[in-house]
Amino acid sequence: MALKDFAAEMDRCSVCSYCKWIPFDQMKSWRFAKNCPSVAYYNFNSYSARGRYAVARSLLNEQSEYSDTVRNIVHTCMTCGACDVSCKVCRYNLEPLEMVRELKFSLVEAEQVLDQHEALIASLNQEHNILHKPKSERGAWADGLDVARLPSEKAEILFHAGCRLSYDEDLQKTAVSAVQLLKSMGVDVGILGEKEMCCGGRVYSMGYRDEFNHFADLNMKVWANAGVKTVVTACADCYHAFKRLYPPLGSQVEVLHMVEFIERLIQQGKLRFRSEVPMTVTYHDPCHLGRQGEPYVPWNGVEKKIKGQIIVYEPNKPRYNGAWGVYDPPRNILRSIPGVKLVEMERIREYSWCCGAGGGVREAYPEFSAWTAAERIAEAKATGAEALVSACPWCERNFMDSISATGAGLQVYDVLALVEKAL
Amino acid sequence: MTLPKHVYQAFEDVVGAVNISDDPAVLDSYRYSLAHTAIHLGPFYNTYTPRGAAVLLPGSAKEVQAIVKLCNKYRIKFKASSTFWSAQGYPSEEDTIQLDMRRMDRILELDEKNMFAVVEPGVIGATLQAEAMKVGLNTHIPGSGCSCSVLASATSYFGSGPSNLYGGCYYDNLLGLEWVMPTGEILRTGSVNSTGSWFCGEGPGPSMKGVARGFLGAKGSMGVFTKCAIKLFAWPGPKTLPVEGVIPAYKVSLPETFRAYTLAFPSWKAWADAAHLIWDTGIGYLAHRQFNMFGRDLKFAMVKILTDPTKTLGDLEEVLADPEVQRITKQSERDFQIILVGMTARDIAWQDAALDEILNRTDGWKVEAMNVPEIHDWVLLYLIRLGHKNLNLVFSGGYDGAFGLLGAMDYGAAHAEEAAQFKKTWEKRGAIVDAGGDCMMGPIGGQGGGGTGLWENFTCFDPHDRESVEGTLEFFDACTKLGLEKGWGVGMEKWNSVARGSDGRTTPKAERDRMHLSAPQPSVFRYQHKIREAFNPNDLGDAYYETLEDE
Ligand code: SF4
Ligand code: SF4
Repeated sequence: MALKDFAAEMDRCSVCSYCKWIPFDQMKSWRFAKNCPSVAYYNFNSYSARGRYAVARSLLNEQSEYSDTVRNIVHTCMTCGACDVSCKVCRYNLEPLEMVRELKFSLVEAEQVLDQHEALIASLNQEHNILHKPKSERGAWADGLDVARLPSEKAEILFHAGCRLSYDEDLQKTAVSAVQLLKSMGVDVGILGEKEMCCGGRVYSMGYRDEFNHFADLNMKVWANAGVKTVVTACADCYHAFKRLYPPLGSQVEVLHMVEFIERLIQQGKLRFRSEVPMTVTYHDPCHLGRQGEPYVPWNGVEKKIKGQIIVYEPNKPRYNGAWGVYDPPRNILRSIPGVKLVEMERIREYSWCCGAGGGVREAYPEFSAWTAAERIAEAKATGAEALVSACPWCERNFMDSISATGAGLQVYDVLALVEKAL
Repeated sequence: MTLPKHVYQAFEDVVGAVNISDDPAVLDSYRYSLAHTAIHLGPFYNTYTPRGAAVLLPGSAKEVQAIVKLCNKYRIKFKASSTFWSAQGYPSEEDTIQLDMRRMDRILELDEKNMFAVVEPGVIGATLQAEAMKVGLNTHIPGSGCSCSVLASATSYFGSGPSNLYGGCYYDNLLGLEWVMPTGEILRTGSVNSTGSWFCGEGPGPSMKGVARGFLGAKGSMGVFTKCAIKLFAWPGPKTLPVEGVIPAYKVSLPETFRAYTLAFPSWKAWADAAHLIWDTGIGYLAHRQFNMFGRDLKFAMVKILTDPTKTLGDLEEVLADPEVQRITKQSERDFQIILVGMTARDIAWQDAALDEILNRTDGWKVEAMNVPEIHDWVLLYLIRLGHKNLNLVFSGGYDGAFGLLGAMDYGAAHAEEAAQFKKTWEKRGAIVDAGGDCMMGPIGGQGGGGTGLWENFTCFDPHDRESVEGTLEFFDACTKLGLEKGWGVGMEKWNSVARGSDGRTTPKAERDRMHLSAPQPSVFRYQHKIREAFNPNDLGDAYYETLEDE
């Protein structure tokens, strides 16, 4: 796809501004009614999906040119997809999320990039991670763990830690817990250790399509060499990349997030919690596990019109609107832990508010990113919960940083941490 | 135009550098494409409202006042808009400053006892309703839906909608006002000026509501409204709507005292009689001919799709082929929806009995297929929150209303069918969606308490397809011609052509004068001219504040 392929959508966007709000039916208060962090923070229309359609059309029609403002408009999009969900409450023939991504791709192709993103791409190319860390240390989190190292050793299931869980010292414990849990359940699991590479999902959301394709290709080759049939991860970004972005490139591996795996173990009666965890918690749906975590459905079709002017597709096009994302497994796990009381925030599931770490915003617009996280923390605190639980290290990192900056007085956990406490 | 540096700087000093922009790309996100709906004039392919000179995001009435004073100083036109639903919220003249009011979005007061709220421009129907429900109150939501600014609908537009029936329309519900007048002075109207409380729309002295609003609202052309008080009404439901269901088939199960019926009638006369009887008996919380916007032939199939999260628009033909869907479609040709809400169990029992008697007298019936729980609960939520107005554009992204406007319900008997059949012949030509001709929708009760109807015949087209756009315009011209020939008058399709031409700009004065002179009550526009002279001496608005200067 190219930006010009979205020209029809640019005309068909009805500038209704639904993309600035959570689905209206779900609104419970004035305070937590917005969905798009970038327009909530920067306020001009151009920072919403409708505005980005207009900016894209303006660029495409050469009515405006690249500028610092245009770069900011495009790169402050978290690609969180909240706009997409709200738009599709009513619309069946628009793809706002795909369009904002395409707008990013087009800017990167035109070298309208940000220094912070370029630095991250350099790290990716040299060190195969986006955290400016040496690739030789990627597997250090698993030192001392009795786990098979692929490809020299064999295992049925690959646990992919991802950049954040591999290198972030505060969060590595989630990867350790995941592997220990899988092993204790008798799962034949292995890791790639220092041979593991970035999934590419985060650079994709920054507009670096070529780099993404390159790393997807590398990862798929490594998996093929190691005979990997199933990949499990505890990172929502990696999950999304493997589950949604790799299949169109040819990947056929089964992809599971740890919360799906654990829920399965609970349902099969293999995992039982023995310890009480007396805690009131609320759960944050990561964008890439929740609304963007819907399974990929292959489609190769064309637009057609019925009834004169109704736009549909031949064959029928799969609809990604957040209806079938991964929402219940983490909740079911939390509910099955004795003592845990799960209280819900106002914006949940498909209309969840983003953590603020997406789309390269954390790296390039730290203030905006921190504000977005603080908004979520305020929402979590309003539930009376003492802890904010999630299933993505990027969300957790952003929340932890915001809490330490603001002293918000809320604990942050990964679902796995509570699982571990309850064993 | 780019603003001269010192002028831009003067505005920037008021709002701060982050709240002003004249970047062309930003300005282009404040233009309205007349291709997808001109509400109600076009459509015109590849035509946009003019690019503004700058966009400003004021944060307070004080900032608005300073901006307006600068506009007077430098003789720059300005246009305030809050939620940008309507084409009329965008500048129609070159070199206009666009004020985007979204930063002023607080609910300042929610007075449970006296049943009103004080809001800033950025407050939308959905958020006010969500907050009001917490204290047992509700707000009227205009036909444009709950995404729209409450203040803008009440002060600057017609503000009619499904809940007119019980909740009054926004014009009725507008209480006190804070108005940054076109010269930059601030005027507070109603009781707030004398008592500091917003409970009453009229204070001692002459009424200022009509002066401030003008006929059908001043549409951002006569200064800026920065606060207003809105009357609320009773909500005997839960504090938060207990929404369930998989997107987009959200639905709500409400207490036993709530009903959502689709009523249908054997003739247009019976349809209109039922509306009169409903008003006479005083039953109903809101009433609307809603789903007919999809078209007489498509409405039930669309309801089936929208209430099933596994279905998409691509399933339409298959759903339409279902004999049961065809049966219900036939059964509900002349229909409307009504929500009954009982304040007590006795009340709802009485309303139910009264409705049954109305149906008995008019030979009408309840469409039972619309009463199965998953559809009933979806309809209830849909109409109470009115948060699906983008479905107006579901088919291909373009729609506009034809025929219609405000009038007696007997229009149904008088010309609805003829207009529908006329449209049907045009649908067959292919430029507009083939939906069955009758796509008329609108509130059953066009103003507070009922008494009139408001309707428009939805015309859906593809704004990206030149033939579709031009064919639609041809159809609209034909509608106007037919309306004039038949004595129905000019319909919605040309409502605003008096203010804006096919290039998206203000029409020339001579043209406007000619049209205003031929209006049924030209004196309204003469009076507005005098108001504009007195309140807007530098004429810094646009032609949406309609004036006639012929003497
Ligand atoms: S992107 Fe969708 S929700 Fe946003 S303005 Fe366009 S049509 Fe409306
Ligand atoms: S993806 Fe997220 S940040 Fe980007 S426009 Fe949509 S809602 Fe806003």
